[in-house]
Amino acid sequence: MNSTSEVPQTQRGGRRGRLASVVRRSPWLRSTFVYAAALGPGLIAANAGNDAAGIATYASAGSEFTYQTLFFMVLVTIALVTVQTMAVRLGAYTGKGIGALIREQFSLRLTALAMLCLLTANTGLVVAEFAGIGAAFELVGISRFWVVPIAALAIWGMVLFGSYRYAERVFLVLSLGFFAYPIAVVLVKPDWGQVASSLLVPNFSASSGFLLLGVALIGTTVSPYMQFYAAAAVVDRGAGPGEYRAARFDAATGAIFACVIAACIIIATGATIGGSGPLESAAEAAQALRPVAGDGAQMLFAIGLLGASALAGAVVPLSSSYAISEAIGVERSVSRRFREAPLFLGIFTVQIAVGATIALTPVNLIGLLIGTQVVQGLITPIVLTFILALANKKELLGSAANGPVFRIFATLLVSGISLMSVLLLLNTVLGFFGVAW
Amino acid sequence: MASTTGGAASAGETPDVARVGRGPGRGRLTLRREVRAAIVSAAGLIGAPVVNQAGQRVGRVVDLVARLHSAERYPPITGMLVRIGLRVSFLDARSIAAIRHRRVMLRSARLDLRDFRRRAGEVILAKDVLDHQLIDTDGRQVLRAADLYLAPVGPVIRLVGVDVSLGTLLRRLGPRMLRARPTPDRVIDWDAVTPFSEDLTAGPSTVQLRDTDRALRRMRPGDLADLLEDLDRTERQSLLDRLDPETAADALEEMEPVELEALLREAQPERAARLVASMEPDEAVDALRDLPGIERDDLLELMPEDARSTLSRLLAYPEREAGGFMTTVLATGRVDETVGQVRETLRERGEQRGEIDAVVILDADDALVADLPLWELLAHSPDESIEALLGDAEHHLAPATVDVTATVDEVAQQLVRTRRPSVLVVDDDGSPIGRILADDVLDALLPDRGRRRFPRLLQ
Repeated sequence: MNSTSEVPQTQRGGRRGRLASVVRRSPWLRSTFVYAAALGPGLIAANAGNDAAGIATYASAGSEFTYQTLFFMVLVTIALVTVQTMAVRLGAYTGKGIGALIREQFSLRLTALAMLCLLTANTGLVVAEFAGIGAAFELVGISRFWVVPIAALAIWGMVLFGSYRYAERVFLVLSLGFFAYPIAVVLVKPDWGQVASSLLVPNFSASSGFLLLGVALIGTTVSPYMQFYAAAAVVDRGAGPGEYRAARFDAATGAIFACVIAACIIIATGATIGGSGPLESAAEAAQALRPVAGDGAQMLFAIGLLGASALAGAVVPLSSSYAISEAIGVERSVSRRFREAPLFLGIFTVQIAVGATIALTPVNLIGLLIGTQVVQGLITPIVLTFILALANKKELLGSAANGPVFRIFATLLVSGISLMSVLLLLNTVLGFFGVAW
Repeated sequence: MASTTGGAASAGETPDVARVGRGPGRGRLTLRREVRAAIVSAAGLIGAPVVNQAGQRVGRVVDLVARLHSAERYPPITGMLVRIGLRVSFLDARSIAAIRHRRVMLRSARLDLRDFRRRAGEVILAKDVLDHQLIDTDGRQVLRAADLYLAPVGPVIRLVGVDVSLGTLLRRLGPRMLRARPTPDRVIDWDAVTPFSEDLTAGPSTVQLRDTDRALRRMRPGDLADLLEDLDRTERQSLLDRLDPETAADALEEMEPVELEALLREAQPERAARLVASMEPDEAVDALRDLPGIERDDLLELMPEDARSTLSRLLAYPEREAGGFMTTVLATGRVDETVGQVRETLRERGEQRGEIDAVVILDADDALVADLPLWELLAHSPDESIEALLGDAEHHLAPATVDVTATVDEVAQQLVRTRRPSVLVVDDDGSPIGRILADDVLDALLPDRGRRRFPRLLQ
């Protein structure tokens, strides 16, 4: 539509600019300590990344490759910061969620593709959360065949009848158990020289195992739903262009914080059970917390896993319902009654049901957890491409659109992630025909 | 298959049909059988071939242009963007002979093409309206247009309705053949639609209002508040533009505090200040309390002097005490006035009718003597003096008062004890400074009735 004149939606600065400057005055304090004390959005964003699937994937990375994936995690951190920045910018400058932007800026078919990807990735994640709940209870000897259906019903009911907000705080406190990982890293006294060199020196292995785990690490860290959430949260606060810098700072520190915790999980696990092959059980993963909790390691791990899984178990399906309802343009609030928002709650219910059902199939839970993250990793590049294309649009963002340097950098990044997914797909397909990598 | 002709074929119809009917629902085009039969899907037309009289294909439809913002009930299609070869040009509606499902037929072999330049009120349909938010004023809901329906009305092709059904979205996802087929059973008549488009606010200010904008103003504040909450940022500000400050302020008072906070933060400071100043003082104070300190001070600075001083004074009271949630709107009368004079005072304050349920009566020394329910003013003759009126029944007209530091519970107790619809708030000297209505207490006592939006679940 080159023949039409566009009015870029950039606006004002004054009042917001001043607010942003106050927010920036003590940024570090605000983003780490204050947030941690107030259980604010930054902490939740960080914690939502470190859910059941995340823990399993990071622990598996430590167990199979010791510190070898650390450099890769540095790259993933850069990717996460870049993508979150774009998502937050879209929210701040347009005041719309990513679901709505995709519907308005791209064709309906592309919108359907994006939503299908998000739904698939998120349903995979819901499977992982219920698998996590199952694994947590199996650690203390309770069968998942009892626990998973009850947990599914409980989460579904709490969201529907409005008591989830209270339960959420309990889950959040439980999930703080995973903050034992940084302590474990200090106590376990890893070979710091080796950790440092793994962080700084590129170290890739051409094995299919490494490729698989790499895609899973991307999937679990740069989760598609987190980008949708980041934009929605900015819009919801009424944060405009003037507050973008503060919002970007929050998003970036939150992302780095999440990745530091992830690296701690890898290091702690690597130092205790590193080199023992792929992670096989939650009990094995719990060994990494032994330096902190001794014999209570299993219990601590179980509590953290339960909290993180239950927390994400409601948030993830809600985020897909929200994005899809927004794209379709129907009632998107979490209303009390089912008939007020049939589509919203229908999508929510189906995800919970599918997630719980798959988590009940008699497969290895850790394998299932990592498998869902591989699926996420395969879908991530598609969703990232949408976000990149939106953030590149001058007619949408005006002067806030990606500049040439940022555009090249982000394109390289998304291409790199896509390349890994394609390689993994090729590897898998070739594997079907008996061609070893 | 129905075809639509834009020319002389339908000469029997009044060209002015689009203006027939005044009230909502009357004269709606999509209720007419011949219009429904002639409906063409705009989504299906995008990418459709443009053929000349000889049936030769000369180009493809890129988009449709309609004069969306004018006094006309049903926007006329003023032209099309057509791709011919590599170039996209504007084709005036006058050269179009007819539109059919998936085909546009030209009137003559000669093409009058020029570059597109947006004229007043014009909007590009597929790009700016289709798939964007709009308001259904009948259903009082915010929707996204799944398809736009066109039909010939007299000599012009008009936008007659919008489809929002899920089935239509699925139809558009399907193969091209199916995509063009309209499904008018779920159509919302354009008469009940308030559209948005980016440049609406930038457009000429002389654009007249359609009936739907009047329908918006007739809506209950609570319904308008729901609409404001469901709209995206630009659309929301655009809706505020179309409401007069009083209507907008009434709607804002009904919004969820968090939604209102977001709205005020994203609005231009001047407009936010104007809106807050138009709100009832107690609601305005609540809204201001929710804002960060700097933004609050900025808004107060931009307000007219009287609003600023009232609100600043109210803000000084703690939120959970009577002073923090009272309204300062008080109608006062004096003992030496007549009933008729007091009635006259009330008549001048019609705007505040929601806040005034009784008249504060002061004596010559400005001391509080009574709180006179409006009923008393009706029941007594205009010539009677207030003094005489009070003499009859002073005991049950004694003012029900609470201290400025009273808690919600204490206010509620006082309401129950006195069985009044409101109580007066008095300062240390016993002079009245505000009023608390029973519904304000209800608001404070009832649990949060807000709708829970997903992003907020995590905060």
